[in-house]
Amino acid sequence: MTTQTESLEKDMYKTFWYADWSFPIFVALLSAGIFAGTHMYYVYKIGAFNDVAIVAMLEAGIQGAGYGAAAAFGASFLFARVLEGALVGILDIGGSLQTGIGIGVPAILLASGITAPVENFILSLITGALLGALVGYSILAIRKLTVGQSNSTFGADIMMGAGNASGRFLGPLIVISAASASIPIGIGSTIGAAIFYIWKKPVAGGAILGAMIFGAIFPISLE
Amino acid sequence: MEMIEVAIKSIIIGALVGIGVGAGAARMFHAPKAQGMGAFRTLGELNACAGDAASHFSFGLGFFFNAWASSVGAGAFTQDVDHRIIPNWAAAVLMRKGRRPEDTLHDPKKMAISGGIIGILVVSFLNLTASAIPESLQAIAVHVLVPAANLLINPVMPVIFWLAALDAGKRSGFWGTIFGGAAHLIMGNAVPGVVLGILIGKGVDDSGWNKVTKTLLISVIVLFILSAFFRGFDIQLLESMYITPPEWLLDFHKLLGLEVK
Repeated sequence: MTTQTESLEKDMYKTFWYADWSFPIFVALLSAGIFAGTHMYYVYKIGAFNDVAIVAMLEAGIQGAGYGAAAAFGASFLFARVLEGALVGILDIGGSLQTGIGIGVPAILLASGITAPVENFILSLITGALLGALVGYSILAIRKLTVGQSNSTFGADIMMGAGNASGRFLGPLIVISAASASIPIGIGSTIGAAIFYIWKKPVAGGAILGAMIFGAIFPISLE
Repeated sequence: MEMIEVAIKSIIIGALVGIGVGAGAARMFHAPKAQGMGAFRTLGELNACAGDAASHFSFGLGFFFNAWASSVGAGAFTQDVDHRIIPNWAAAVLMRKGRRPEDTLHDPKKMAISGGIIGILVVSFLNLTASAIPESLQAIAVHVLVPAANLLINPVMPVIFWLAALDAGKRSGFWGTIFGGAAHLIMGNAVPGVVLGILIGKGVDDSGWNKVTKTLLISVIVLFILSAFFRGFDIQLLESMYITPPEWLLDFHKLLGLEVK
């Protein structure tokens, strides 16, 4: 019986939805969408799959302040995440695809004066898919060369812990910025955060919601 | 006309992203046997909702408002669309009838399909409604979310990763500090450097200085040298030491198309 389930499981990991060979296909799909998201941002100023602070680096480049920051930040994140993803079995799409391929690569292309892949929708899909497939295959190759040969997880657990810990900072940080924006918004944000905490919901969500409700009643200027 | 163009593009992008995220998230539950994609925190959060459709939905909703505000304020979806909203809502849809996570959330095929549908809806909604949000709410996004996100990226995240590296043992602490400091100097953010430092430190802790860890260290150093050069860090370094940069170095920068003022 045990041998039967084991062989069943072994077979499952060879089917399309679980196999190694299909992994680059999924990365290519996701990466095509993310790269096209950057195209949307470049053309319509909406739709980049990343956080405000990171998109701001690309925006700084578009405004003429140089693409160096976005390119270096994106490329180094991509490099680190591809290595890590192969070693631990989970590719972090935030660093590798959203920041690396979505921000870093466009910054490098735009800095070199190559605008077509970012300006044209179809080209952006193709570029994203090719880059994604490349990332997928690199991961499979690194996996074969490293995990197959050593038993180290390369500190994945430590980075997992640090990643989780930094996510938790967002809630309090939003309340602090809200309190610096205006008194009513600060009050709203504090109440929202407290209610969400009691409801066992993410504090960041409550802080934003509270700030938005009070900000709609007592507006502040965009300037 | 532009509305229709944005709508069509949004549907295509949403479907691609949703399928990828859905399948990748389900495959995470089978790592390391199958190579997954998503994030450790996504995996943890999906587990924390414990297969309860309402929890998955409301968790996604909290971040959806955040993503909406950020899209309105700065045109940036936030990483949470891929990390949290799509995987959690895709799971919520599959579990609405109280089915077990093993048959739903852990199944890449089902998650790819429901992820694709959620992706289309979320991306279209965010792209099409951004202009419909009143200015007072945009002001909130700019004045509240942007400074908070900036604080998180620098200095909160670098410090947390750095402390984690220091606590993880001598080697991680040492390499994390070296590369963290260098990364902040060269790239303006210490996180990539600290992460690479931890990778090297723990790699050596676990398996010693073998071919893999040596290659890792050398590629990291090459990466740093290259990004330093391309950002003109070498010239800035000389200038801040009151040394006039030699003509050949400036010419070399020019040769590669990166003129340094």
